[in-house]
Amino acid sequence: MTFLKINNVSKIFGSTDAVKDFNLTIEKGELVSFLGPSGCGKTTTLRMVAGFEVPSGGSIVINNEDITNTPPNQRDVGMVFQSYALFPNMTVSSNIGFGLKVAKKPTDEIQSRVKEMLELINMPEYGDRFPSQLSGGQQQRVALARALALRPEVLLLDEPLSALDAKIRVSLRSEIRSIQQKLGITAIYVTHDQEEALSISDRVVVMYEGHMEQVGTPFEIYNFPATEFVASFVGTLNAVEAEVVDPKASTIRIDGIQLQAAKGLENEQSGNKVTIAIRPERFSFASEQKKANLLDAVIENITFLGSIVRVQVVVGSTKFHMDTFNNPFLELPKIGDKTQITCSREAVLVLNH
Amino acid sequence: MKTKNIWAWLILIIGLVYFFLPLLATFNFSLKMIKDQYTFEAYRVAFTDAQFYQNFGFSFFWALLTIVFSLLLVVPTAYWVHWRTQKARPWVEFVTLMPFVVPAVVLVFGMSSLYGGGLKLFGAPILVLTGTPIPLVAGYVILSLPYMYRAVDTGLRAIDVRTLTEAALSLGASWRVILLNIIFPNLRTAILSGVFLTFAIVMGEFTFASLLYWPAFGPYMEEIGAMRAYTPQALAVVSFLLTWASIGLMQWVGRGAGQEQLAGAH
Repeated sequence: MTFLKINNVSKIFGSTDAVKDFNLTIEKGELVSFLGPSGCGKTTTLRMVAGFEVPSGGSIVINNEDITNTPPNQRDVGMVFQSYALFPNMTVSSNIGFGLKVAKKPTDEIQSRVKEMLELINMPEYGDRFPSQLSGGQQQRVALARALALRPEVLLLDEPLSALDAKIRVSLRSEIRSIQQKLGITAIYVTHDQEEALSISDRVVVMYEGHMEQVGTPFEIYNFPATEFVASFVGTLNAVEAEVVDPKASTIRIDGIQLQAAKGLENEQSGNKVTIAIRPERFSFASEQKKANLLDAVIENITFLGSIVRVQVVVGSTKFHMDTFNNPFLELPKIGDKTQITCSREAVLVLNH
Repeated sequence: MKTKNIWAWLILIIGLVYFFLPLLATFNFSLKMIKDQYTFEAYRVAFTDAQFYQNFGFSFFWALLTIVFSLLLVVPTAYWVHWRTQKARPWVEFVTLMPFVVPAVVLVFGMSSLYGGGLKLFGAPILVLTGTPIPLVAGYVILSLPYMYRAVDTGLRAIDVRTLTEAALSLGASWRVILLNIIFPNLRTAILSGVFLTFAIVMGEFTFASLLYWPAFGPYMEEIGAMRAYTPQALAVVSFLLTWASIGLMQWVGRGAGQEQLAGAH
């Protein structure tokens, strides 16, 4: 069931198109991330859903109600900000209860809801503290509770973890996700961190220069990036220019070395230039198992990254990265060694232009 | 290093002497009302004058009114500049500096001729406000603008006005609630400094009250200054103490609320 609908929304600031032709439908209870570099329009789109920006064109519908021109304080939308934005003059309890107080709910209802929210964020004993007495992570949890206290139809999160340090970022993001799933609330999550987007979302919208590059589940976005931008922005990968040899057989050539792809060349002609992408982890040493594509390579560099080992190889004159899982019994080749690496046909992704 | 220190101290001492010597002399003189004796007689005389209480009370009342109108004008304006119209900032700042550019005496003549029947429609004056305290309070609001605006502006810079407003809006708050429950409380210190400065200005103001013929404290001081020797000195010392008390209060209140304000800036 479609719950939130963003139809053909665009936003023009002066002479720049901040958002172009944005179309998205979100199901009830779904968490969708907007992922992209800064200036890609993700925050502007979110702010249009919140009502802080008015779209230059298109419409926004929540629960069958067109809210395109509804003022932000009349929308049933909760928001969490990067800078927490807790009211410094109020205690944690007053912050959480602020929306209910504004809505003129009875005092006992406010109190019980505030208590419930404090338990939801695991901070039951912090009600009387002031925001300045809390850590950043605690402040953001209070901000989340404040946004949820009114039981909004949609929860918007604008880079909520960007101001926190790495460890808290990881634990708080799974907390946010579990609260969102527990309450079954529809949510939009804006981030520039691809790992965050992939780990927390039901679906990810990758944005670039004001338009949507790809919409899909984290699995689809990572494994089947539709464009070169998505492929390069999400995860690391080897992107290489290649020449189509035989579109029917899905064969291409890089530096005179022939490779086989699984699909994506249907509309190409022999001799065309295409960009292909191969994730580093899709390569393996041919000594273990041989797959469809076999490449002669020279080891150029080896980087130890903890759980994985990244090997840089040269095939012909093209450099590739290859990731292999670390284990204590791993026998790595040495720099300068000649070896053979291999990958399947499915690992060779042909990207759209 | 050592010589530098000595010079710094020397300059400080010269400064202090420059400021305090005349004041001490005034104080000393004010105690000498009875010949060959140090007494507070001049103070007793000053404080037993019914006129003193009348004029002081008058100025006090209009100072309070000025503060109310000044706050109602400046806080929403400064807030709006921070929240929406950053481009208007230089213009608003320019306007608030007008009292430094246009002398009070020019302002008061302009106002008394315009609102004293100078504004005519079909030959008949349409807006006669002289005789009412409106031009007086309006003039005081203008005079206090540079101080009030700057105090409030500094306070607003210390909090994240934009995000706090957006957070309140997303929680359903109206503009009135945002101003009263979020902006005003977080500007407490800033507003108080503006209030005390405005108070001090109005209490000592002479030009407006005198030229608009109001029995304010400023003209009273001037009047008895022309007529008596010792009492005005006593009053001068008292008004100095009043101003210092205001500043002291400002510092004291500011220290208490400072922490909360800083926290809002993170």
